[in-house]
Amino acid sequence: MTMLLLLVPLSVLLLGAAIAAFVWAVRGGQFDDLETPALAPLAEDAPKPRDPHAG
Amino acid sequence: MQPAILAEHAWAVPGGMEMVVLSGGMRCAACAWLVDQALARERGVLDVTASAVTGRIRLRWDPCVVELSTLLQRLAALGFAPTLATGMARERLRRREWRRDVLRLGLAGLGAMQAMMFAEALYLDTAAQMPLATRDFLRWITLLVSTPVVFVAGWPFLAGLARGLRERSANMDVLVGASILIAYFASVVETVRGGPHVWFDAAVMFVFLLLTARQLEQWARRRATMRADTLARLRPVFAQREVADGTTQRIAAAQIRVGDVLRVEAGETVPADGVLLDTDAALDEALLSGEALPVAHPCGDLIAAGSICRDRPLRLRVERIGADTRLAQLVRLVEQAQTQRPRLARFADRVARHFVAASLIAALLVFAAWSWLQPARAFETMLAVLVISCPCALSLALPAALAAATDALARRGVLVVRADALETLAAVDTLLLDKTGTLTDATLALDSVQTFADLTREEALAVAAALQGEGSHPLALAFRRGAAFPAPAPARTCTATRRHVRAGLGVEGCIDGCEFRLGRADFAAARDDDGAIWLGDGTVALARFSIKQQLRKDAVDVVAALRRLGVALEISTGDGAEAAAAVAQTLRIARWRARQTPEDKLARAQTLQREGRVVAMLGDGINDAPVLAGASVSFAFADGAALTHRAADFVLTCSALSRIAQSIAIARRMRRIVRQNLAWAVAYNAFALPFAALGWIAPWLAALGMALSSLLVVLNAVRLAGRAS
Repeated sequence: MTMLLLLVPLSVLLLGAAIAAFVWAVRGGQFDDLETPALAPLAEDAPKPRDPHAG
Repeated sequence: MQPAILAEHAWAVPGGMEMVVLSGGMRCAACAWLVDQALARERGVLDVTASAVTGRIRLRWDPCVVELSTLLQRLAALGFAPTLATGMARERLRRREWRRDVLRLGLAGLGAMQAMMFAEALYLDTAAQMPLATRDFLRWITLLVSTPVVFVAGWPFLAGLARGLRERSANMDVLVGASILIAYFASVVETVRGGPHVWFDAAVMFVFLLLTARQLEQWARRRATMRADTLARLRPVFAQREVADGTTQRIAAAQIRVGDVLRVEAGETVPADGVLLDTDAALDEALLSGEALPVAHPCGDLIAAGSICRDRPLRLRVERIGADTRLAQLVRLVEQAQTQRPRLARFADRVARHFVAASLIAALLVFAAWSWLQPARAFETMLAVLVISCPCALSLALPAALAAATDALARRGVLVVRADALETLAAVDTLLLDKTGTLTDATLALDSVQTFADLTREEALAVAAALQGEGSHPLALAFRRGAAFPAPAPARTCTATRRHVRAGLGVEGCIDGCEFRLGRADFAAARDDDGAIWLGDGTVALARFSIKQQLRKDAVDVVAALRRLGVALEISTGDGAEAAAAVAQTLRIARWRARQTPEDKLARAQTLQREGRVVAMLGDGINDAPVLAGASVSFAFADGAALTHRAADFVLTCSALSRIAQSIAIARRMRRIVRQNLAWAVAYNAFALPFAALGWIAPWLAALGMALSSLLVVLNAVRLAGRAS
């Protein structure tokens, strides 16, 4: 049972990391348009990868 | 010029500037992809996002490397003329709200899953073998995880509770907020003093599932608005103003003033409402009305912002700018409709309010009864009753379906101006067509030519063509084509002088010194009107032209579709008897009336209503406004007069009749879904409440059931929008 003392806080930390990643993604506009990207694979050419610094 | 645009429409972001432009030409994913692709290749562009659904392009660029005008020109060269979205502040606000909602939902989802995992561990300890220390440890961790879910993600409910208490009205949020807070704080107390039960799981589950249902409903509504105002918020970026010395000057659209004379090149968008100067012009109003053919406007006509100049450059004197343009008025009307709560929704709200009050009382009664019988379970049972009796599904049943229907209609180019009308539209059983033009094509063709006196067929056509002039009125085109086509040698062309158009009668003019009149029989040849067009000098007939209207390709299908929906068709038109009869016969419409004034049409609509029928009408002129207001449900065309829009319930942005059949079908589907939803919501509450009161339902189960029921109702409604083609 002492293992729980380590594992449970660890899971909480992971949860915190997941939430932080989600917040980052939303702030970066990844959820702003939920429809157009779904259609992108239908185009012939893959669009040019975005500039990673654009945020 | 540039600084003016930048100041009004762009804002600074790290590394550069950002702005949103609209493009009406972007209609599919391929267009959006093309825009993305082309602009992302430009040097200095940091980020481009084009959305095909909303017609918006978000552009982020570095002003030190590339000028905005270069990018906009690139966009225009691709065929997507950029236009500025007005109300940038609102645009940003909208995006901020969207992000906040997504964040809340994500936080609620992640947090609730985790909290429920810990709760599960506690539940599985049925034999109470878990050491107290471990149990308390898990409880404290659950408390830690649930706190942000309840207070950050659940904030909308808590704010609603506070509002309800402040205004002393029992709204639904009072029940939801109270249930969440009671469950949460009771659990905190139990955690601290080591009591037998905690209910964190019920609290977080309630927040998460209910938030999902509510967000889905809100997003459906937002999408409906976005679509409508993209359509109408088109405005070009630049305009060319004429200055005193006759040259032109490029200015930003925001700098246009009333009275300016603007020049619009072929292919450009008209930036403001204004009077056409110098010449006639053909304007493409596809963005405004969806009408594919250019519309002819004679010199002196008022042309609308948002239409595109075809063929040759035109000049106009600005009459209305910005928020006064017809475009802007239409948008305001639609926005107004979207803020209204329709009758049925208000009714559901009222029912829900009584229901909330009743639930609060029921919960207290249950608590009292259980405290007397079995005090240990009193609190838990009360909580279950409180949660399960929340009429969320009832309150969501209607708005969700309405929003989904509005969205589905907007996708097909039908804007809802009065929210109540959707309900009536579902009940429509008679469609009164007020003109044959909606069933026939815009192009006319000469059917037969009869000549009298010593005039030849060619001469008669040449004279008629000259009288009709150069305009692109369908009738003038028909004569020009007729004059050019059958003659083996080029027909003699003549020119008319002193041309004068007599509204409703015809045209008169002077050719080679002779007076001619062309138009209705009583005007041109002093005979009884027979629906044909006569050439004469006012007393003696020279020729008779019969004009054939071609049925639209889809007319037969549309009439069949309407019949399948059980909608009876009736023609009540201002056109001549011959034209109306021909159309009615081809489409097998039994009831038709020709040469009807607006008063006649209104009287007819009222007679039908007295017979118990629900009448839909469509019209486009100012004089149609009273008729539209008199009908049970009315459609107006977007290119019609603003007054007509105010009287109408729906505005059609394209003049295809098939939209009406589709609208009726959508409205009926909406009515069916609303009924299903209401039935489900009422049945669920009535069924679950006794079980909860008897103590057979644990709070977590109540929260699950309640929220799933809300989710079901919303998903059922969203189905309506999803089925769009």
